[in-house]
Amino acid sequence: MNCETREEQGVTIASLSGDVDLQSSPEVRKILIECVDQGKSLVVDLSGVGYIDSSGVASLVESFQRSRKHGHGFVLVAVSEGALRVLKLARLDKVFTICDTLEEGLSSLNK
Amino acid sequence: MSANPITSAEDLSINQTTVDLNNHVYDQLELLSEMSRDFAASRDIEASLARAVQHITDHVNAEGGALFLLEDEGATLKCHGSVGMTDITGITLNSDQGIVGRCVQSDKAEIVRDVADDPNFHKGVDDETGYTTRSILCAPMRVKGERIGAIELINKRVGDGLFEESDLHLLEAMSASAALAIHNARMADALVEQEKLARELELAAEIQRSLLPDGNDGITEVRGINIPARTVSGDFFDYFQLDDKRIRFNLGDVSGKGMNAALLMAKTSSLYRCLGKTIDQPGKLLGRVNAEICETATRGMFVTMVGGIYDPRSGIVRMSNAGHEPPLFRTAEGEYTDFEAEMPPVGITTFLGDSDEYPELELRLNGGALYIFTDGVTEGYLEDGKEFGVEGVKGLLDDLSSVEPGSRLEQVVRKVNWGTDKLRDDLTMLVIDDAAAFKERSKSKSIDVVSSAAADLNSDEIMRITVPARADRLKLVRNWVFETARFCDCSEDTSHGMVIAVDEALQNIIRHAYKNSGIGDIDISIQRSDEKLIIVIRDYAETIDTETVRSRDVEDVRPGGLGVHFIQEVMDEAGFMPPPEGGGNVLRLVKQIQ
Repeated sequence: MNCETREEQGVTIASLSGDVDLQSSPEVRKILIECVDQGKSLVVDLSGVGYIDSSGVASLVESFQRSRKHGHGFVLVAVSEGALRVLKLARLDKVFTICDTLEEGLSSLNK
Repeated sequence: MSANPITSAEDLSINQTTVDLNNHVYDQLELLSEMSRDFAASRDIEASLARAVQHITDHVNAEGGALFLLEDEGATLKCHGSVGMTDITGITLNSDQGIVGRCVQSDKAEIVRDVADDPNFHKGVDDETGYTTRSILCAPMRVKGERIGAIELINKRVGDGLFEESDLHLLEAMSASAALAIHNARMADALVEQEKLARELELAAEIQRSLLPDGNDGITEVRGINIPARTVSGDFFDYFQLDDKRIRFNLGDVSGKGMNAALLMAKTSSLYRCLGKTIDQPGKLLGRVNAEICETATRGMFVTMVGGIYDPRSGIVRMSNAGHEPPLFRTAEGEYTDFEAEMPPVGITTFLGDSDEYPELELRLNGGALYIFTDGVTEGYLEDGKEFGVEGVKGLLDDLSSVEPGSRLEQVVRKVNWGTDKLRDDLTMLVIDDAAAFKERSKSKSIDVVSSAAADLNSDEIMRITVPARADRLKLVRNWVFETARFCDCSEDTSHGMVIAVDEALQNIIRHAYKNSGIGDIDISIQRSDEKLIIVIRDYAETIDTETVRSRDVEDVRPGGLGVHFIQEVMDEAGFMPPPEGGGNVLRLVKQIQ
């Protein structure tokens, strides 16, 4: 698993790649919460995620709730097929804002 | 009744002497009714006494008169009203002093025709007032054999100023009436005072009752009952729902009885309710209540109590016990466990071990019921005079297990409150009954235990692996499951689903069965039987309670708890096999090959 973060248009972007599973989810959780706590809206790019399990989904849910609490946006973009399968299993595809591309995600936040 | 009972009409025969007597009888009756009326109207005994003395003095035609009442438990005589010469109202004599003292002590009316001849005459009053006493009449007052005082008259107004025997009879009759009127007035006064106290007490009891839940709050899992032994109670219970549907509850018993206990009860209960809305953990909450009570409560008073939280969605109770009777847990199967307090009651010390919080205890009710009660219930007397006792309570609860929780409590309490007018102590009891919530929870899917007969005996094992229970091996297992599923002609989609199921199952084993220790093995066997793929996963950890492995409502968005839901979504069957010999758990997952 790898995670890179950067800033663009006043929004934090976290790009995850590899497998987000029991082994890596604690680190993913930590990074995402740090991003949320920076006080900006967050875009999570899941294009490189081959597999995500329930613990990875939990990390996404937790940072999503935290972000909402702070009053900031939280968007998932370019969700890979494998990750989307799991999000759908959890019925979270209706809960998260999911955009096809990073650009769409950014503009949805700047609306 | 009076010393001179009013006789029947036959005694009032018509001749000259009885006409006088008749008048006297009329006068006594008149006096009695007038004094009674006077007391009733003015409600001022002192003023009425003064008027009574005036009336009697005038009637006997004396120069002066005084009415003395016994006080200080009969040690002194105090003048409550006087007429003539000098006002001596308020003066106090020893109860054996003077002629009035002798009269009260001997309980006989007397006439001292000439005081100069009487050695008992107390000249003190004359010396103080400058008045010359020549002749005295004195009659005791008593009611129902009890002496209450005397009336003394001084100097006849007419003739030689000396009293006659007939004057004495007249005074005797009148003093008897006065005694009765005074007695009645005192009784009425006491009654009024009593009624006032009773009203105040009833008001306090009403406020107290308002502090208890009324049962119309939509909470069905928790029920309570409180029967005070007196008007007010030192016991209390409370329960209320928090925003997240959990139910906070408490039950307590204040040391002592009566109004001071009732006040401390009101304070403790209000503090708990108020702080209970912001402080979540039962042990911390009870610790805060304790600190507050320690700081402000009357020395020597304390409260034994149990407080906690029940979550109907999980059946879990977390509670703390501050020196209270051990709560009694009855499992759904009828087994009993009790929980002794580890810490002292609230209001004694803020040093609770090395912390200022009470220790917490977690209990999974699993359809059972938790009973919390005060010792008034267990130490109450049954109708046959025996003590109810914890065993008695248990026996009755067994009989009542199918009865609705609220009326179950009523029936338990009725055993001790069987109609006796003297309850030994307040009766208070609370139940947290998980049966209905448990039934509701069981409707949501859980992973069932399947019988071994359901396991397929004729299946081909494709491959078996053993991996250490470590998160960093999951990726390898996923790849292996995917390739094996594909090998067995599963579609790509089905294979991805099986990967998710196995991954989640292993995750649960690593985290919950092996508790993230990283130590322990997991065996995975993939078998094929006709058009089914069977995955059997075995661990060697402690055998788990399969009831605790449960999916969560996916509409409830929060982190964690999704694993079992994933498994049930992607597999056609998922179930635990009966625990294998030698411990551990066996999970069997089945998927149709499309």
